[in-house]
Amino acid sequence: MAVGWVKRSAAHHAVSEIERVEKAVLETSRMQLHKLVEEALPELEMMIGWAESSDPLQTTPIFIRDAKSISKLTCGPLCSQNLTGYLVKPPALDSVPKDAKPIGICVKGCDSRSLVALIQEKFLTRDRVRIFGIPCRGTVDWRKVEKRVQLLNVKSATVEDDWLILDDSGTTHKIALEEVLSRKCLGCRYPNPVIHDVLIGQSATPRSTDLATTYRDVDAIEKEPLEQRLAFWQSELDRCIRCYACRNACPLCVCQDKCIVETREPRWLTQRAGIPEKFLFHFIHAMHLAGRCTGCGECERVCPMEIPVTLIKEKLNKIMEEMLGYAAGLDPDAVPPLLTFNPGETEI
Amino acid sequence: MRIGVFVCNCGTNIAGTVDTAKVASEALTFADVVYATNYMYTCSEPGQQEIQRAIGEHGLQGVVVAACSPRMHEPTFRRAVEKAGLNKYMFEMANIREHVSWIGNDKAANTAKAADLVRMAVAKLRFNQPLFSSKMPVNKRLLVIGGGVAGIQAALDCADGGMDVVMVERKQYIGGKMAQLDKTFPTIDCSSCILGPKMVDVSQKENITLYASSEIESISGYIGNFTVDIRKKATYVNWDACTGCGACMEKCPAKNTPDVFNENLGSARAINIPFPQAIPKKAVIDARHCRQLNGKKCGVCAKICPVKAIDFEMKDTIVTEKVGAIIAATGYDLFDHSVYGEYGAGRYPDVITGIQYERILSASGPYGGHIQRPSDGKEPKNIVFLACVGSRDASVGRPYCSGVCCMYIAKQAILTKDHLPESNSYVFYMDIRAPGKNYDEFVRRAQEEYGVQYIRGRVAKIYPRGDRMVVQGADTLLGVQVEVEADLVVLATGIESSAGAGELAEKLRISYDQYGFYMESHPKLRPVETNTAGVYLAGACQGPKDIPSSVAQGSAAASKVQSLFAHDTIETNPQVALVNERNCIACGKCIQVCPFGAIQWKELRGGIKKAEVLPTVCQGCGVCNATCPPKAVQLQHATDNQLLAEVNELCA
Repeated sequence: MAVGWVKRSAAHHAVSEIERVEKAVLETSRMQLHKLVEEALPELEMMIGWAESSDPLQTTPIFIRDAKSISKLTCGPLCSQNLTGYLVKPPALDSVPKDAKPIGICVKGCDSRSLVALIQEKFLTRDRVRIFGIPCRGTVDWRKVEKRVQLLNVKSATVEDDWLILDDSGTTHKIALEEVLSRKCLGCRYPNPVIHDVLIGQSATPRSTDLATTYRDVDAIEKEPLEQRLAFWQSELDRCIRCYACRNACPLCVCQDKCIVETREPRWLTQRAGIPEKFLFHFIHAMHLAGRCTGCGECERVCPMEIPVTLIKEKLNKIMEEMLGYAAGLDPDAVPPLLTFNPGETEI
Repeated sequence: MRIGVFVCNCGTNIAGTVDTAKVASEALTFADVVYATNYMYTCSEPGQQEIQRAIGEHGLQGVVVAACSPRMHEPTFRRAVEKAGLNKYMFEMANIREHVSWIGNDKAANTAKAADLVRMAVAKLRFNQPLFSSKMPVNKRLLVIGGGVAGIQAALDCADGGMDVVMVERKQYIGGKMAQLDKTFPTIDCSSCILGPKMVDVSQKENITLYASSEIESISGYIGNFTVDIRKKATYVNWDACTGCGACMEKCPAKNTPDVFNENLGSARAINIPFPQAIPKKAVIDARHCRQLNGKKCGVCAKICPVKAIDFEMKDTIVTEKVGAIIAATGYDLFDHSVYGEYGAGRYPDVITGIQYERILSASGPYGGHIQRPSDGKEPKNIVFLACVGSRDASVGRPYCSGVCCMYIAKQAILTKDHLPESNSYVFYMDIRAPGKNYDEFVRRAQEEYGVQYIRGRVAKIYPRGDRMVVQGADTLLGVQVEVEADLVVLATGIESSAGAGELAEKLRISYDQYGFYMESHPKLRPVETNTAGVYLAGACQGPKDIPSSVAQGSAAASKVQSLFAHDTIETNPQVALVNERNCIACGKCIQVCPFGAIQWKELRGGIKKAEVLPTVCQGCGVCNATCPPKAVQLQHATDNQLLAEVNELCA
């Protein structure tokens, strides 16, 4: 792989040709998105998508009700948020009446699985959403970018071919996209939306087709001796400040202010800031997602303390796939195995 | 809360390996405990009075008894505290006998563990709430599932007591396996002669409703108030009209229909009444073999039937019955010996099963009661019986003893000698199990008076030689290999659970063991109850049984039903799930997972949906609580807070 990179850099002239084409593809996708949204907007209550923000490395969610704002919509590797949570969580939809027109939403492959899970659990009906599916080659983890290069004041960030190009106060950084992708993207099996009304751009190639690749990080930790694993999680979770950002960002964490880590009746957790309490919180979160988590990685993305919290859920997802042959968020008509009572399941 | 702790010595059962006085003194240091003592037998009358005295004297608001399993004496102590004026749910039990004293000898460790358990019980009790049950009317009708001898006995006993009984039988006739038997051990009385009158009684009792050719479709409800859907299978004969004259059977051209009642030893007709004494004596068309129902031109029975009872258009129908109690008496099936390749895997016509031999011996059987070989109709001279075919053999997944084979082999060997005085009978056996009244004498008679040769050892192989079968085995008493040339080999196939027993158990919500036999509530003390209130067991569905035991258990189950029906109302169990509507996020997961359909949607003002538990349907299993993400569903008397208090206390 590394050899390949060098070769390409050497043949710089040829690369810039491809870059232009790739850039054009991205531009075309954005224009295609704008056109499709423009056509659909009159039939929609609202369109939820991504827009560029004051930080060029991160997009921001945008809620579009009038055609003027459509030009702000963007798509591509910088659009890391999973927007589906906005469909079921306040405050975005608080003002939307139940019998309103459908809501348009942009989804990547992983986001689409959250949508499927929400439909499965009847938090959403399929006809309430108009899904703009966007095949995804992976999203940029801005923290990885910051770890690679010293940034002062990024003016712009663009993706050209396999490169992320940053203009940082006059200096241009060219970083291989592969090296700054989010952890979850590296084992992604579903880069293309599993559910959509329209598809924008060309379909993407999955980075993984097997459990070993998808769950490589889980496997790596499982190889460690028990004491080391405990020490790892103790040191990771010790940093947790219990801000609940992971919970709030999770599209399937739907209990909101009824969440049992905050209720006093029943009283599962105290406010004591010890590692056991942090453990308990994260494991409650994970257990509540057992058989439901689609691995979108939002919990990890939003963690201000950079704790790999998705890893806990990945472990459960792996168990679900190995034991029950079930991966969440793929079939809107499937019943998640832990949400049913089947007396025939004698082996479990 | 003012809590009193009573530590039971249980004679030396507990005090032998637990320092109960120390446990009591330690309990005094636990939060809210104001009184603690140890007592010789807390469950005794004076023991209970001591609790009541302490409640009055110390103003106790809650009581912990550290003694045996709550399955033994929880009701006793609940009554005791209730008599003293407390709510009976303000009581907790710590099991320091089965969980402590009986399983360890280290007194110091036992004492510490007992104190831990008491500490947990106290911690839970501090979160207990008074609970109140309501009264529900009892529907004094009984459902008996299965019309074998156990079910018949239970039905007749209850019907004699004046109760309405509904009997559901899967087959077209009642009588079960006993109806197929020729004679019964150890008295050699004729099976149909002793069973027949009981079968007739069932059909004649006005308060017994019999659904034959019917199966249980679904069961809902709870003790005192079950609703049962019964699938009446299409028989293609209008039973209200059918007189059982049998004219249709005579003329039916589908002559190659397997004769199931005669264990496929002969052939029957597609329209059939299996035996002359059948109850109900009604014809049924076997849809798999009827020419008309398989698109061929026929309809002979319809033409011949004098009362025009034939209805080729008949469909299954569902009838609904409401009952207050259920007795499962679904009997057993016989082991399929074809897994034994060394015994011919069912290929040899003259290697038959015990039940087939019963039909051969029976005067109403395929050969009119004359013993002959299925292959060529010749009278056999040498007959070999093999015990334990599918019993006591872990290699075929049947490690248990079927309990009846030793006896029925002895019976069949005796009858063989009666039928064919010149014949020789040989029995290969592992051990002779004849523990019933007059049973061992019976086996001895077979050996000593009837000259049956008992060979202790397993048979290694059965293979044909000429028109005879060679049985090769070991005589382990003499330590030699033996070989018997037999004209007929009878395999004493063992008892296994009835086909479909598991599915029915799921509908009844009762437990069953790995072999499909239904689990009694307690192997010694509650042998006919199940863990689902209002559902009782009779006969071989609970485990291998002979006729006397099955009949006894039928009567036992009937008496349980009668004591239930002696009350007009029953108290509901308040230990059920309850939704805290403020916390319910209306995700509906509890509704999805509830095995009993006990949770439904409820709409508040403004169209807000919340989950709601039907307390009378809820069985308190707690699946909803485990599933509910915000834990809005709580199981009363086992709430999260109560369990967390115990865990926290243990981990403190």
